[in-house]
Amino acid sequence: MKTMSEKAAFWSFIRYHPWRLLAALLFTVPLVWVVGFSLRQPGLPPPRSIEWIPDPIVWGNYARIFDIVPLATFLGNSLMVAAIAVPVTLLTASFAGFAMARSDLKFRQRMVLVCVLLMLVPVTALWLARFILFVNLGVIDTIWPLVAPAIMGSSPLFVLLYYWSFRRIPNEQFDAAHLDGASALGLWHHVAMPQARAATVTVTVLAFIFYWSDFFSPLLYLKSEERYTLPVALQIMQQMDKTNWPLLMAGATFMTAPVVVMFLLVQRHFWPDESKGEKTSAVAG
Amino acid sequence: MGQSATMRWLLLAPFAIGTLFLIVLPALMTFALAFFEYDALSPPAWRGLANFSEAFHDPVFYTAAWNSLIFVGFAVPLRILGAMALALLLERRRQGTSAYRAAVFLPTVVPDVAYALIWLWIFNPLYGPLNLMLAAFGIKGAAWLVNPDTALGALIFMSLFQIGEGFVLTLAALRQIPTDYYEAARIDGATPERCFWHITLPLIAPWLFLLFARDVVITLQSSFTAAYLMTGGGPYYATFLMPIMIYEEAFDRFRFGLASAMMLTVFAAVAVTLYAVQKMMRHWLHEDHV
Repeated sequence: MKTMSEKAAFWSFIRYHPWRLLAALLFTVPLVWVVGFSLRQPGLPPPRSIEWIPDPIVWGNYARIFDIVPLATFLGNSLMVAAIAVPVTLLTASFAGFAMARSDLKFRQRMVLVCVLLMLVPVTALWLARFILFVNLGVIDTIWPLVAPAIMGSSPLFVLLYYWSFRRIPNEQFDAAHLDGASALGLWHHVAMPQARAATVTVTVLAFIFYWSDFFSPLLYLKSEERYTLPVALQIMQQMDKTNWPLLMAGATFMTAPVVVMFLLVQRHFWPDESKGEKTSAVAG
Repeated sequence: MGQSATMRWLLLAPFAIGTLFLIVLPALMTFALAFFEYDALSPPAWRGLANFSEAFHDPVFYTAAWNSLIFVGFAVPLRILGAMALALLLERRRQGTSAYRAAVFLPTVVPDVAYALIWLWIFNPLYGPLNLMLAAFGIKGAAWLVNPDTALGALIFMSLFQIGEGFVLTLAALRQIPTDYYEAARIDGATPERCFWHITLPLIAPWLFLLFARDVVITLQSSFTAAYLMTGGGPYYATFLMPIMIYEEAFDRFRFGLASAMMLTVFAAVAVTLYAVQKMMRHWLHEDHV
């Protein structure tokens, strides 16, 4: 009996993995190549076949990228933008999500629709008008246009993520706290937020990626080089030395590694929930 | 009750004000500017429909529109199919599922500039791993981004790997389907294919429509980043897309009115497409199938 089930498990294992492994490799192998190439000695002739590990391994490219552009300054600017924008995003998105979750059905449905419609607005279409707006506010060439989206929660998706988490909290908990004299802000702080940690983690990471990767805001709204952020640095690097691929791949890796690490640390919060029944069957299978 | 309603509005205020200033107001401004001549220095001057007629008489406008249509027309369906295939493959949790899911999501978190740079290298005829890999199979690769015949296709190809958002959305859609439906179907002797066509697809159709709408918008945007950074619209206008043309009119030539008119045209085209698709899918989107 036991051997039978072991056999079945073996065959199901064989059937399950190959395709999925293939898909996973398809999406990750190019990134592995990039990291490998970033360790290649610059100036060598082009490789004849794919080099997984270069010979010799050279770490100097990662030091060089700090020499050819003021990367440390740009890194500092990028971190500054994230340090302002991410906490503000957490506040505004969770406030809005909380207000939605505590409203009546009709208002809730309308707000969800508004958020979904807002997600369909192409941001590229608004650059031009935003540019004119920022010119008139006199904030061109400052950090403010870069962090501005934070006051609207950065993305309607973040508001919805909080809204969905807060909706899962039973109403009785809010009612009880309310009877104890808690204000709306108190409910947000003591009841809602502690039970939405997964949403907070997800929004933190997604918002960080959003600001860390933002290339067009600095390109459009900044003029002085000392205020530029990392994405612009990468573009400058490319324009300076178009064919030094090991160096450029080191730059790309340097910019990508932090977000990849952050994503991998929190990715288990990303996936839609499983119900309990399936969890046990998953363990069994 | 009155006090909590006030509090509710206060909590909603930052989001509402931000949306008003960063989305609603710019959208209205874009709409109005389409009928003016404006260079951000001298005050706007009324131009009526002249911006539109100028755009429609420019042959480059048609090239850009056609390229964008090709891009969206190929990229969006392929991206949705890819996201759906991945979600179906990785729907049920087993050992290793988390790792697989994280792996296919990974390219999506790569910053746009880095992503463009990476693919510039992958497509490089001399150093690029794509041609090295093809050479291993005895195939001679093209100069993908330099050849006008392959440049747009190359940009479409690289967009097919950043489909994490669609993947998660489809995953969520699949989780919404009650498992009893499948069990009932299995008792009735339905094959997996029939289950897919008669249960899964109709029930995730509204989500797929949402994904389609969102992906048209995302694709227009990401195609711009890629074309701007990798080909600059070239070679010979092969990757000259609508957003590139709008960007150049606005920020290189400071013709904000003309750029706005082009923007409105793109907007109208997207709206009409979405409306048509919604009409075609009405049978699926609204009928109760269960």
